[in-house]
Amino acid sequence: MYNKMKKLGAGVLAGFMTLTLAACGSNSGSSNAAAGSGDKVKIELAISKSSQDSAFVQQDLLDAFEKETGIKVNLQLLPAEQTATVLQTKLAVDETPDIVQYNLASATTDLNLERNFEILDNEPWVSRILNKDVLSAYGHVYSFQLSQDTGMQGVVYNKDIFKELGLSIPNSFEEFLAVCEKIKAAGITPVFMPYKDNWAANIWPAAAFADYADKNEPTLFDDINANKKKWSDVPEFQNILQQQYEIYQKGYTNADILSDSYDMAVGKFLGKEVAMMFMGDWLIQDVIAKDPNMHMGLFPIPYAANAKLGASPLGGQLFIPKKAKHMAEAKKFLDYLASKDVAQKIVDDQRFVSNFNDVQTPELPEYKQEIVDNYITPKKTVLTTDAYMLVDRSELYRLLQDEFAGGLDPKGVLAAWDDKFQQLMKDKGIDGF
Amino acid sequence: MKISRRLYSYYLVWPALLIYSIFFVIPAIAGLYYSFTDWRLDRTSIQFIGWDNFERIFTDKTLLLAVKNTLIFAVATVIGKNIVGMALAIGLNMRLKTRNILRAIFYSPSILSILVISIVFTPMLRADGTINRILDAVGLHFLTQNWLTDPSVVIWTIALVSIWQQAGFQMAIYLAGLQSISKDYYEAATIDGAGAWRSFRSITLPLLTPAININLMLTLIGGLKVFSEVFVLTGGGPGNASQVVGTIILRSFGEGSWGLGTAVNTLLFAAVTVIAIPLLIFMRRKEVSE
Repeated sequence: MYNKMKKLGAGVLAGFMTLTLAACGSNSGSSNAAAGSGDKVKIELAISKSSQDSAFVQQDLLDAFEKETGIKVNLQLLPAEQTATVLQTKLAVDETPDIVQYNLASATTDLNLERNFEILDNEPWVSRILNKDVLSAYGHVYSFQLSQDTGMQGVVYNKDIFKELGLSIPNSFEEFLAVCEKIKAAGITPVFMPYKDNWAANIWPAAAFADYADKNEPTLFDDINANKKKWSDVPEFQNILQQQYEIYQKGYTNADILSDSYDMAVGKFLGKEVAMMFMGDWLIQDVIAKDPNMHMGLFPIPYAANAKLGASPLGGQLFIPKKAKHMAEAKKFLDYLASKDVAQKIVDDQRFVSNFNDVQTPELPEYKQEIVDNYITPKKTVLTTDAYMLVDRSELYRLLQDEFAGGLDPKGVLAAWDDKFQQLMKDKGIDGF
Repeated sequence: MKISRRLYSYYLVWPALLIYSIFFVIPAIAGLYYSFTDWRLDRTSIQFIGWDNFERIFTDKTLLLAVKNTLIFAVATVIGKNIVGMALAIGLNMRLKTRNILRAIFYSPSILSILVISIVFTPMLRADGTINRILDAVGLHFLTQNWLTDPSVVIWTIALVSIWQQAGFQMAIYLAGLQSISKDYYEAATIDGAGAWRSFRSITLPLLTPAININLMLTLIGGLKVFSEVFVLTGGGPGNASQVVGTIILRSFGEGSWGLGTAVNTLLFAAVTVIAIPLLIFMRRKEVSE
């Protein structure tokens, strides 16, 4: 009887394993068979659900690509709040999509860019790129985008309110406080701080830190990343954090900053309840989409005189994982997007600032043209600190939020971030930590 | 084929045992192993690092704060949910015309998703929200708070919301317990001259012990494993003020520290086991039968 039991047990186990293996293998098996038999090859493009309106995944574009090449692009829509985790897992277990849409700066911190993604330096479209920096990391082109128009960060402001009150763009912190005072006296909230979303508290320091380093200590972020210097070693960083707190302390903001969230911002601007906000130009785009008569603009974080406008690392690029099952077809998709006619159509539709020398930038919205003329063309922009961070930044955001909750002063924020930064860099295995 | 009567039940248990092992026992053992490693996405290999993860847990201020918050939440909700649940059950076990509708009303929050609760409570708990306005209107201005943004009160606020939501579920279990107590005991006690309090202390409470045990265990384990309430109401903030062990596990995984996250999870499992099992044994001994 014991033997019978053993046999039955082994049988059940073998049956279960066969089923499991069959289930695991079925996907790749059918895909390979399709490739080998001359049928259409299907490439998988993984993208966050929140980016499903992205320029590169419009159905008519994918259909046209399939018609021309016989290659079908299958979209893997990942839950927005779990995109990083799902992609990390897929890459870790070699269930790799053929193309991934992600943000270059985040890919370096979240997805181990060097280990997991293909270097694209030798692709035919690379020689036509105008601004290689926005697609590069570690000295190589890792990603594809048709635009060089990174999200610009600074102070989003309502031009009409400024005009009505006779205000001009402040060029120092003192001038900024004076502007706030006049707006407050007019019964309007000068600055909207939606710091329930802790990342929003990072806009002021991310641009100001970067501008300070750019002008005063160009090797600062390299030194910090090599553990030669700490965040708290830079007194100016403390001042910058103190300035942002001072704006709140002086009553120039919404009262309940830790209860108000970013999604309230568009409504606040449309209702003319607020005049300014430390944010990116994507907010302007959202506001004028709701009311094209709104006149909005962007100026640099006024922590010091003549500050540059913050430029966030470019988002929404396409990457090809090293272990892509259909590498050649994935590269063909990028070639297709980069072809002059297709690229021109996408750039026209999206009103991108073209990153290809043979693709024309279309007429831009007023606010964007101003940014191009006043900041991008005269090179008055600086990449925000996010571009230099090699680790997850969410703890920094929490610490910044804690400053406004009364738990930490600026010195405490930087000291706590030093500890966490050390730990995260050590975990990542970065030399010097 | 003739199947032995003595052993046939073992054949039937095989599939369940196999599935249970594959989906629970093996992952649990693997999890225990990984909690002693530096498992990360960005490492090419996984190294055994002994107690390092656990050492880090006990020296990290945020993790210690999370443990403290978890214990505050667990104790507050065990007490709150059981007192409120029992009071509601006793009240609604009386002969009221409206008792069925009232039972449904008090039970209904427990079937709502915590996301719905969050959408309802977040605006109510703002500094200028409904709750503070009501307190102001009834002259209790000194009780107004920044309920979800003041680091010193936020974890208590989340506990209160959880008590509001779940007390109805505890009420249902207490009601079932109360209805299993024979009316004869109360009639006899009345004849003997016992008052309401004496009847409650000497009849209701001892005979309700099985229901109390179930509720204590459910609320304690639920309290120690708290995650969703904190996640949707505050995300662990402001800053790290309302972090609990559950949100710290999520944070560790988000940072790519999978080994550390698994170690925190292992600790949580051990803590729940160490607290819950002795309590269960102790409470079982207190049970009496009719």
